[in-house]
Amino acid sequence: MKLHETLRNTEKFLAERLPVEKMNYASMVQKKEVPVHGLAWGYYMGGLAMFFLMVQIATGLMLLFYYQPTVSDAHASVEFITDQVPAGALVRNVHAWASSLMIGSVLAHLLTAFAMKAFEKPRELTWVTGVLLLGITFAFGFTGYLLPWHQIAVNATKIGLQTIEEIGGYLPGQMAEWPRQAKEIIQGEASVGQATLSRFFSLHVIILPLAICGVLGFHLVSVQLHGMSKGIDAKPRHMERFFPTFLLKDLRVWGIAFMVLFILGVCLPFESLFAYPLFEPFDPKGSTPDGIKPEWYFFWVYYPLELLPLWVILVGSTLLAVLLLATPWLFKNTNRQTLRLLAIMAGIYLVIMTLFGENIYHLFKG
Amino acid sequence: MIDAFLFIGLPYIALIVAVIGCVRRARLSKFSMSARSSQFLEDRQLLWGSAPWHIGIIVVLLGHLLAFLLPNIWSSVLTVPVAMFCIETLGIACALLALAGLGTLIFRRLTSARLQAVTTHSDLLVVALLFMQVLLGLLSAIYFRYGSAWSTGTVVPYLWSLLLLQPDMAYVAGFPMLFKLHLIGAWLFILLLPFTRLMHILAVPFTYLWRAPQRVVWNTTRRRQHAVAATIRAESRREFIKGAAGVTGATGLLALGVSSKAVNFFKGASHDPEAESAMLEKKLQRLQLTAEERGYELERQRNSMILVSPYAELDPLKGKYFIDYAMAPGLAFKGKDGMPIVMSAKCTHLGCTVSSMVDDNGRVLCPCHISYFDILTGMPNEGAPAKAPLAQIAWALVDATGKVVASRAPGQPVTGTLTPEALAQCGLYITKPGKASA
Repeated sequence: MKLHETLRNTEKFLAERLPVEKMNYASMVQKKEVPVHGLAWGYYMGGLAMFFLMVQIATGLMLLFYYQPTVSDAHASVEFITDQVPAGALVRNVHAWASSLMIGSVLAHLLTAFAMKAFEKPRELTWVTGVLLLGITFAFGFTGYLLPWHQIAVNATKIGLQTIEEIGGYLPGQMAEWPRQAKEIIQGEASVGQATLSRFFSLHVIILPLAICGVLGFHLVSVQLHGMSKGIDAKPRHMERFFPTFLLKDLRVWGIAFMVLFILGVCLPFESLFAYPLFEPFDPKGSTPDGIKPEWYFFWVYYPLELLPLWVILVGSTLLAVLLLATPWLFKNTNRQTLRLLAIMAGIYLVIMTLFGENIYHLFKG
Repeated sequence: MIDAFLFIGLPYIALIVAVIGCVRRARLSKFSMSARSSQFLEDRQLLWGSAPWHIGIIVVLLGHLLAFLLPNIWSSVLTVPVAMFCIETLGIACALLALAGLGTLIFRRLTSARLQAVTTHSDLLVVALLFMQVLLGLLSAIYFRYGSAWSTGTVVPYLWSLLLLQPDMAYVAGFPMLFKLHLIGAWLFILLLPFTRLMHILAVPFTYLWRAPQRVVWNTTRRRQHAVAATIRAESRREFIKGAAGVTGATGLLALGVSSKAVNFFKGASHDPEAESAMLEKKLQRLQLTAEERGYELERQRNSMILVSPYAELDPLKGKYFIDYAMAPGLAFKGKDGMPIVMSAKCTHLGCTVSSMVDDNGRVLCPCHISYFDILTGMPNEGAPAKAPLAQIAWALVDATGKVVASRAPGQPVTGTLTPEALAQCGLYITKPGKASA
């Protein structure tokens, strides 16, 4: 009896979240409308993230033609792409820039969706898949960082993975060994080497793309089924048709994004933003270079990690993950004004940590 | 005789009649000077007739006028071949433009009943003559090439001789018939000036250029609705065409740009033997490094002792890196007592490789999060991120004959003693953990 009820409730829950009866041309294309109001720019963020994902897939496939994922050849093949292949530097640079821009727009999408209460019933699953996509995007960044196999990449990956091992210090008895074993499973061997490179490569090129396609597919279908969320408490100024009005506007934003990306790709090598020479191949006998740090999009967790004990970060990030996944239920009754305030605060934190994280670190550590 | 009439008599008659007639007409009926507009009767063909005709004929006439007024400057400009070609081309193009426009205007006059109601015989005469005149001029320009250049030595002196009342026919007597007809036509137009709509040439509406813009507003409901509907139609069509052109153009450019990059990308690097051999060399080096590392790995699995360095190469201030049995980096120094110091170089905080340079306090630095490790004890400094000491590594000194003369397991005292002379001959080895160093 109990099981039967649970099943029925589950079915009811899913039926409400996945209104497949709306899966037709009329309601997904002809009738879909987008509200117009002060926060409407937020509606473009998701599309922008998807645009950058498409750029990543295209340029990534192009890089795959020349990249060789072995310890001895990886760095040389990246150098070959940059120096010898026509437009190779451009393709690689666009891949690097678009990864950063994609993460930026994903974060903006998260914050705007939160501020607009876009997770409100029946859009809970859209939100949850969105959080998963955020995780996958970060995983893309982390795995892709290792592939050029230069000093910074390998050492940064080592440090990142070592953090997992550190968790063992907080666990009692036998369990203290588990994180180390987990790290070695990820690494494939005792230290970062060929096995790690192979694993990260297959993660970056096959497993994560497959995962993102599946999750993104669900995300997009549910967005199309439920339509755009209302976004604000007040009545929107007016509604505009999704097709073709909003879609054309969206394409215009994509066009601008492409232009910006292309100009960045042509004019500004991504590496030029780093203070250290990036192009030394990894040398297992060399010392770790000074001032090593992860990509900017990890600063928001990296600098606190440097300043605070690990357990604070562990507790904090676990809480954050739970908070993000449970947002649709936790903030069910919060009004949009409060949500907007929270999103602004989170945004300010991200911006400050990303831009001034290093200064804050030196402020406390000298 | 007939020539004398056509080229001396006719010009003077024409000029006198034109001057008197124009002044008289301007005095008597001022508002008849401008040509009667037919725009209200028909406006679509008018645009395609009137605009090209007037643009073309004004440019051509200005050319004639310049050559007449400033013959010296004109001919000096034309000594540059490129300038002459440009002027000739411009003249012929404008003549063709004028002819096309005039053809349209004639067709329009002849086919619209509303226009015929306001067309006079003089109008028809004027357009027919104009067409003939432009055609003759064009043919002259084509058959007697570079008229812009030769006219300054022939026609221009003839015209000036008329103007200075010393008529000299010698310049024009030998002209071909085609060109003579063009000249006669010109005098005929001057003669006709006061009697036809041609007089509007003298009524140039310069004020039009700086007067305030005016808009015609129809104030009957039907007209208004018509106007609004027409505007909407035109606007939407224009917007669509503009949008479509923009999208097509942008997509085309984008596709062109992207494909030019993408095609070359897939085509691959150009064959540059030097770059290729440099690349090969680099790859070979890396392969050798990798092979070396694999060799270390195998060595560490099979051998119970691994050579770190000859004892003589050890230094108290600069450590020597090696790879320990865990395939992690290690460091070897020469201690103050002459015995080696061998320890892990993998930071106990997050696994960075510590620096090999010893500072004044006898410590090495891990650059990642600033931990100083004492090389004697391996202990990190107070307050460092690293909490555990760097591990000591078991070592052995082996002399030239392969005999272990001294060794030390972690946490235990050195076994065996040596004289400095014997030490210098030794090699420093690390010994496999778990195996007794023999």
